[in-house]
Amino acid sequence: MKTLIASVLVALMSLGATAHADTLDDIRKAGKIRIAIDTAIPPFGMTDDKMQPAGSDVETAQLLAKDLGVQLEIVPTTGPSRIPNLQTNKADLVISTLSITPDRAKVVDFSVPYADHPSVVAGLSSIPIKSYADLDGKKVAVVRGTTQDTDLTREAKGAQLVRYEDDATMALAFASGQVDILATARSLLPAISKKNPGRTAEAKITMQTFYLAIGMRKNEPQLKAWVDNWVKTNLKNGKLAAIYKKYHGIDIPTDQLLKAGS
Amino acid sequence: MSYEFDFSFLAERWPDFVAGAWLTVQLTVVSITLGLVVGTICALARIYGGPWLKRLVGAYVELIRNTPLLVQIFIVYFGLSSLGLKLSAEVSAVIALVVNSGAYTTEIMRAGIQSIQRTQLEAADCLGLTRLQTILHVVLLPAMERVYPALTSQFVLLMLASSITSQISTEELTATANLVQSDTYRSFEVYIIVAVVYLALSALYRVAFWLIGLVLFARKRKLGTAL
Repeated sequence: MKTLIASVLVALMSLGATAHADTLDDIRKAGKIRIAIDTAIPPFGMTDDKMQPAGSDVETAQLLAKDLGVQLEIVPTTGPSRIPNLQTNKADLVISTLSITPDRAKVVDFSVPYADHPSVVAGLSSIPIKSYADLDGKKVAVVRGTTQDTDLTREAKGAQLVRYEDDATMALAFASGQVDILATARSLLPAISKKNPGRTAEAKITMQTFYLAIGMRKNEPQLKAWVDNWVKTNLKNGKLAAIYKKYHGIDIPTDQLLKAGS
Repeated sequence: MSYEFDFSFLAERWPDFVAGAWLTVQLTVVSITLGLVVGTICALARIYGGPWLKRLVGAYVELIRNTPLLVQIFIVYFGLSSLGLKLSAEVSAVIALVVNSGAYTTEIMRAGIQSIQRTQLEAADCLGLTRLQTILHVVLLPAMERVYPALTSQFVLLMLASSITSQISTEELTATANLVQSDTYRSFEVYIIVAVVYLALSALYRVAFWLIGLVLFARKRKLGTAL
């Protein structure tokens, strides 16, 4: 019991200590960077056929760790727990389809954008949807806490939102017929449609295009400067574009991203 | 510690927590009631039924008690839907909770019923009680009185376990917590509040069960002794 109390105290003290120090220094000293990634949102984060983490966010994190000269430790996360992982110092960075939003910017810092991310309302081809008004009285699946959730809550007041905890559960709800309409990232539609050949998710409304950025705790000027510089360098040399193309099959608008980040 | 607590979101979001807690109460009161009915019938079947009925109920009890609740909920919600039977999240949650609670209640009630001595049944026979009167007054009520503390615990556990149904989009207390947390990013504060609300609900349930016990068990109320 005594040792338990002592170890808890030590853990608490070290928590307090790291929260004040410079994270970039800590990462270099530890020789290891902890990056939170949701590995249940193909093709950004997933497990490949050898049960290894893969995907565009995973490969981006691997490249970043390599360039920083440290080991990568992936902190598995879900959509709603991405930011809490940063706040509670369970991760140093979040690279997990994190779009830049004003609300999030109040609690975390963002790097310059490394990719873009259009989100859409999609559904079975048999359902006619042209605008938010067509969603009135219909069940629409979203992942809790995502930008699609916030947007539809505000814009599509007549829609009946059905909130799931992650993309995998939402995809299952669509594939099994619990919902016929869902709001999600366009990049996820192929994977969602593949689950049940009889139920293909077709993009109906483009909601908003977001910029994806790397998230970090507030007041880390050194870390932010290094990450910003790293993103710009790798956008210019085409490495980030190549990673995105490999998993998504489309190009990212590099010039637009660089402009948005400057 | 450098963490700064901020509960200011409560001023705006408390109706969400009340709505979530209310749905939790509704879900669990229905599930507890139906679970008790299922459990009692299954317990009687397991003791007085024919060999095949006994085996069937035994299989049900073992199947449910040896698989996770989350898996059972997913099977009801996603599985039945894949087969074409679309149930809402709330209905799926109640079905899964009743099936789950029924299995545990079966075993608790069975223990109670088996603790009733044979001589009690013989006395009931001598007094000319019908089979239904015997089962109700001589077997079930005293059996329930014996296992009432265990039943109470099981039902409070069921209330706490209902938090798992947030995974299939039931907007109960835990789902509310996840929603508010994802809007405000005050995860620590939100879960502290929810823990306190669950604690209060548990206390409320225990008081309610104690009062129900007073009404139900006249012998205990008058004598104040254990059976």
